Amino acid sequence: MTAIEINNVTKHFGKVCALDDVSLSIDQGELFGIIGPDGAGKTTLFRILATLLVPETGAASVDGFNTLTMMRDIRKRVGYMPGKFSLYQDLTVEENLKFFATLFDTTVEANYDSIRDIYSQIEPFKNRRAGALSGGMKQKLALSCALVHKPSVLFLDEPTTGVDPVSRKEFWLILQKLRDAGMTIIVSTPYLDEVRQCGRIAFLNKGKICGVGAPDEILNEFKDVFCPEPLSHSDEAKLSEDNDVIVVDGLCKTFGTFHAVDHISFRVHRGEIFGFLGANGAGKTTAMRMLTGLSQPSGGKATVGGYDVSTQYEQIKKHIGYMSQKFSLYEDLKVWENIRLFAGIYGMDDKEIASKTDSLLSRLGMSEHKNTIVKELPLGWKQKLAFSVSIFHKPDVVFLDEPTGGVDPSTRKEFWTLIYEAAAEGITVFVTTHYMDEAEYCDRISIMVDGQIKALGTPSQLKSQFGVNNMDSVFTMLARKAQRKSD
Amino acid sequence: MILRYLIEKEFKQIRRNAFLPKMIIMFPIVIMLVIPWITNLEIKNISLLVVDNDRTTTSQRLVHEMEASNYFIFKGMSSSYDEAVKEMEKGNADIIAVIPQYYSRDLVNGNPTNVLIASNSVNGTKGAMGASYLSNIVVPSTGKLPISVLNLFNIYQDYKVFMIPALMAILLILFCGFMPALNIVGEKEVGTIEQINVTPVGKFSFIMAKIIPYWVIGLVVMTICFILSWAVYGITSAGPLAVIYLLAIIMALIMSSLGLIISNYSSTMQQAMLVMWFCMVCFILLSGLFTPVRSMPDWAQYLTEINPMHYFIDAMRIVFIRGGSLFEIMPQFMALMSFSAVMGTWAVVSYRKNN
Repeated sequence: MTAIEINNVTKHFGKVCALDDVSLSIDQGELFGIIGPDGAGKTTLFRILATLLVPETGAASVDGFNTLTMMRDIRKRVGYMPGKFSLYQDLTVEENLKFFATLFDTTVEANYDSIRDIYSQIEPFKNRRAGALSGGMKQKLALSCALVHKPSVLFLDEPTTGVDPVSRKEFWLILQKLRDAGMTIIVSTPYLDEVRQCGRIAFLNKGKICGVGAPDEILNEFKDVFCPEPLSHSDEAKLSEDNDVIVVDGLCKTFGTFHAVDHISFRVHRGEIFGFLGANGAGKTTAMRMLTGLSQPSGGKATVGGYDVSTQYEQIKKHIGYMSQKFSLYEDLKVWENIRLFAGIYGMDDKEIASKTDSLLSRLGMSEHKNTIVKELPLGWKQKLAFSVSIFHKPDVVFLDEPTGGVDPSTRKEFWTLIYEAAAEGITVFVTTHYMDEAEYCDRISIMVDGQIKALGTPSQLKSQFGVNNMDSVFTMLARKAQRKSD
Repeated sequence: MILRYLIEKEFKQIRRNAFLPKMIIMFPIVIMLVIPWITNLEIKNISLLVVDNDRTTTSQRLVHEMEASNYFIFKGMSSSYDEAVKEMEKGNADIIAVIPQYYSRDLVNGNPTNVLIASNSVNGTKGAMGASYLSNIVVPSTGKLPISVLNLFNIYQDYKVFMIPALMAILLILFCGFMPALNIVGEKEVGTIEQINVTPVGKFSFIMAKIIPYWVIGLVVMTICFILSWAVYGITSAGPLAVIYLLAIIMALIMSSLGLIISNYSSTMQQAMLVMWFCMVCFILLSGLFTPVRSMPDWAQYLTEINPMHYFIDAMRIVFIRGGSLFEIMPQFMALMSFSAVMGTWAVVSYRKNN
């Protein structure tokens, strides 16, 4: 039986064509993946199906109900989990769930069975505010909220972006169970391991459906986009070890009684690409904030480029670059204006800025976008630009905090090409990521669990140490041992 | 040097904002064109009933004079005082004038005579003002002029002259207080402030880059106000403009520092907006802008002493209306200078790049 039928749907936003004559049919009980680059029209499609948008032409039906004429029926039987912001950060876990139950005129108790699997995992924290949960837990809560009225169709728009691999695996186990129970699930995701777990997938690009079929077929057909050749990367050790840029010795950070970072020690060599991994809430961001001079350590010692993080943090700031997971350029400035601003901050003069801006943009292939407002660039471009701006002043070290969240594999590969170029110029790269294929690209990696570093070495060393053949398994083995379930 | 790039960025952002440039032009225009008319404390259009028990040419001349005054709406004659009071109870009259019998005879003979003025004092100001206007008409007609009144500085007692310098102060609060506060909290919410914090931009440069653009905007707004008040109302400053601009610069510094202090302690727009709004209402009501400070209770008068707005409005009125020079506003000027020193330092100190 067909659960969802989309016929020739088109939608424009101004001049931009978000969906162009899209037709698709999804069977009941299917776990259907929608993949495609940022700005491909995935969210627009979800919003049309969830009756939040009206298509210009064409029609869509969900569970046999037309999205235009019978939206009330649809809203009763659909669960929708938008990519972000679907929870009230100031309400507790339980209050959030109760609120969503009330919206659908039901109670948590009445439908407890349907959400038991997921909710039991977060129930111990039911009095905690949603804003204080880790990424993985937030997603579980959001899913519980979307399921509390027993929907027959579930729409999930990139539910696992920014979530660590272990939490993602748990999340997908839940989805499998729901599918087995007969629920129709449509999900979009940038992660290939998740794509492979779908029954069928559709590849959406620039508003058009390029292909529908089994995951392997589609990934194979469009392998330029999804499975780019891995970057060749020599495993040889970089430069001499006595030339360390970052030296961390027993660094701590406590918030009240909570040890966010618990005596970590490591060294990063000059010119190295150092992967700093860990589950959501393991303390990565806190550690990085101390190293970048944004936060004072509670104990221990660390130097960056020879400067002490607790006293000489203003000196450190002259010698580092930083790119955060929150997008860090000014969206209302033009491309060249952003470059000019940050170059000016690091003390370059007008002439130098002008000539370097042009050469940078031509290297990125963005020369014709010099006068584009940054807001209008696609996400992947913004990230490449933000990275280039963060190393524009040739810092000793560049800190990258989840720089590639939510981008498709080919764009991520381009991004990593830039990272290699920077490393070749002698810039040390300190990077956090949730993509385990990216972890393999690093010279050395550390894995943080519960505020401590539990593993440190080259990717191949770690794989042989734990007797597995990929980084994903190494990470999963370590992160599963985590004692504290949340941050 | 860094400052230049930061300020350039602020101006670009303001210009690119769909709303702000329009507001910078429209706000002073609306405030200057509309508010001076409605914040008028002059009492006009008082309904007047007259009871003439004399009915002579003299009494009739007095009635005509009352009729001719543009402060009153002449509601006609009543046959008796009681009837007139009934009318007042119905709300048809605010004030009653009773001309006694033998009014003209007593006047001619030089005997004391009394015109009774009864006013509805539910609205105290209206009643008192009406009564005093009316007595101004009655007293000269008796041939005696016991008091002479000389209105200094604001000869025609025009309320606009009194209000315009104060309205400029309100505009300065709005532009120099709210905008930098919302600007910094906005950067916090988007996350770009984090990016600035990992660069070598110093606290002082960062804060100055946030203040200076709003200083400039504040002065532009002031200038628009001066041009409008001259073109529309024909009101110009009696004192030197340079002193007024100097005052405005200091006030703008105080207000933008306040905005920055508030934003440094708030994490969301809502918080910053609410606290700023609270401060602004207190400042305005405790400044003597609408109500004279001297008629406030003692404790409130002490409060006005820690209100920079109070000194600013005082000084503005002294210079703008009375034509005072910098020398005459020295106490206010020194007070404002100390406020700006304290607030400015607080703004820089409370901004934390490292915690």
